[in-house]
Amino acid sequence: MSEYLLEVKNLTKVFPIKGGLLGREVGSVKAVNDVSFKIKKGETLGLVGESGCGKTTLGRSILRLIEPTSGEILFNGKNIVNFTPSEMRAVRRKMQIIFQDPYASLNPRMTIGDILSEPMDIHELHTDKAARKARLLQLLAQVQLPQDALNKYPHEFSGGQRQRICIARALAVEPEFIVCDEPVSALDVSVQAQVVNLLMDLQRDLGLTFLFIAHDLKVVEYISNRVAVMYLGNMVEVAESSELYGDAKHPYTKALFSAIPHATTAVRSDRIILQGDIPSPMNPPTGCHFNPRCWNATEVCRQTFPGLTQHSSTHMYRCYNPINPTK
Amino acid sequence: MTSTVEKVLEVKDLVVEFKTDRGTIKAVNGVNFDVFKGKTVGIVGESGSGKSVSALAIMGLIPNPPGRVASGQILFNGKSLVNMPAAEMRKIRGNKIAMIFQEPMTSLNPVFTIGNQIEEVIELHQPQLSKKEREAKVVDMLRLVGIPSPDKRVKEYPHQLSGGMRQRVMIAIALSCEPDILIADEPTTALDVTIQAQILELMKKLQKELGMGIILITHDLGVVAETCDTVAVMYCGQIVESADVKTLFNHPRHPYTKGLMDSIPSFDSTSGHTKERLQTIEGMVPSLFDLPAGCNFQDRCINVTEQCRGSLGEPILRDMSDEGAVHLAACFNPLKKFEGKGL
Repeated sequence: MSEYLLEVKNLTKVFPIKGGLLGREVGSVKAVNDVSFKIKKGETLGLVGESGCGKTTLGRSILRLIEPTSGEILFNGKNIVNFTPSEMRAVRRKMQIIFQDPYASLNPRMTIGDILSEPMDIHELHTDKAARKARLLQLLAQVQLPQDALNKYPHEFSGGQRQRICIARALAVEPEFIVCDEPVSALDVSVQAQVVNLLMDLQRDLGLTFLFIAHDLKVVEYISNRVAVMYLGNMVEVAESSELYGDAKHPYTKALFSAIPHATTAVRSDRIILQGDIPSPMNPPTGCHFNPRCWNATEVCRQTFPGLTQHSSTHMYRCYNPINPTK
Repeated sequence: MTSTVEKVLEVKDLVVEFKTDRGTIKAVNGVNFDVFKGKTVGIVGESGSGKSVSALAIMGLIPNPPGRVASGQILFNGKSLVNMPAAEMRKIRGNKIAMIFQEPMTSLNPVFTIGNQIEEVIELHQPQLSKKEREAKVVDMLRLVGIPSPDKRVKEYPHQLSGGMRQRVMIAIALSCEPDILIADEPTTALDVTIQAQILELMKKLQKELGMGIILITHDLGVVAETCDTVAVMYCGQIVESADVKTLFNHPRHPYTKGLMDSIPSFDSTSGHTKERLQTIEGMVPSLFDLPAGCNFQDRCINVTEQCRGSLGEPILRDMSDEGAVHLAACFNPLKKFEGKGL
């Protein structure tokens, strides 16, 4: 078996746009366009980008919660794209997801005990009553919630605690891989730090592999080993997280990092203010999708879509005029 | 604070109460701050700390019942806004004091064009202008906030604009009467970072041109550090620390302020792959129904001692500075100077 737990090859998801009286297809949106990447066992790959760039679609396509249009998803070396529903169910035990909004992703009429038991019922784990109880208490301990939480309802918990419950639910079936889709965006900063620390502890203790999706670059850079940057459905740059901040090659990555306000009062000289809005994914610009906002754009950028340039074994980008190309 | 700068707004001992089934809570409890012409005051804090309620109180928009300004004063150019007759308040609201809300997606009316919505404000507050003059002004406002081809855009509806463009329209509405004070309640929270940078830059530029005082409400310390002149940190309805922005970020004295700063991952701490754990503030914000005696932050504080638990009453804001600038913190055991992150 290879060292990679997950390998995504040329994944594309096209959503049709229906319109008119008869609901005919009048166009399409390439939400995810020919994306390939690999994640090692025990690694965290961060996925950043602005709203509408396809981060969430990509995350859900990997679990086939959204059916990909084309491409391959190799999980533990097996292509799961053509798996039957029953085969898929077995695989899903190993692949879980944590959603953004802890207020909307828990059923308000179920107790925490029921919420955590449901995935174990489906996968027929710990069916013995005593074993089940022990497992529930173990899960609560793992996410640092008190034992009396089992008989309470979601509304009795704060946002940070609900996100811990969502994490416990994902852990219930002993997954190997978890897609974390903006797990801390809805939380206050002090609570956000608690949840980030918890996720990192769990990864270390249980050997989990994460795809960590967020728009907050500071959090992503902190939690990830490698970071992938998306823009309008394309992966424009992938690098080690320590390398990406200091040595971004793609102008968009550079601008994205420079736009983050820092909590210091030192004078900033590196701020790049991008002109214009993110183009509509229904009608992306020809050539490089970033060319209308890019200060390095040349004629070739307006005409042909840039291929992947392999800068080093871990650093790739799609750009004709990268920043410091030789460094 | 230098006396050469004109003070436009003074909030004194403001208390805002809400009646609920479980009793009366003080969402804002004894808040003081000043707004100066051409300067920006930042109010930071987590959800429920009373930031937005303070802003709504200034605008006279506290829903009554269940809420009311229980005591304290809000002085705008020396005139009290609390209990001002509704007709008089309407002349100030949206005209002299304007507000931008957090959600550009929901604060515009979907069935009117954006031109219509800007014009409405001008018509209300500047009745002397003719229809032609108003329309010209609408186009000028859209140009001012950097919307491309404004003469075409006036006829568009909110759904035809992106989030960043809608927030620009909100700013255009707020600024169309050249207010003395602009209250911006989380103006960039719903926007992407590259768009956030555009909007903050725009607000700074317009402040320079129009000389208004800005109250910027946010939970993002980064935004505060880069845009504000003075900062007030709120916790459970009270200001726990306030100072000019440099002093606050370089030498925070209240453990809560420092805790907030340390909870944010910073880029430099991760270089070289030695990731330290994020510093966190343990526990969570206490419920306003059930505040502890003494300091509200005691159960989460690293410096807590017996006196914080009520024997000395509640901590009040004291001046912590030994030099000129005022640096207030409400803490019995403040952090020593130079314990901050520094630059």
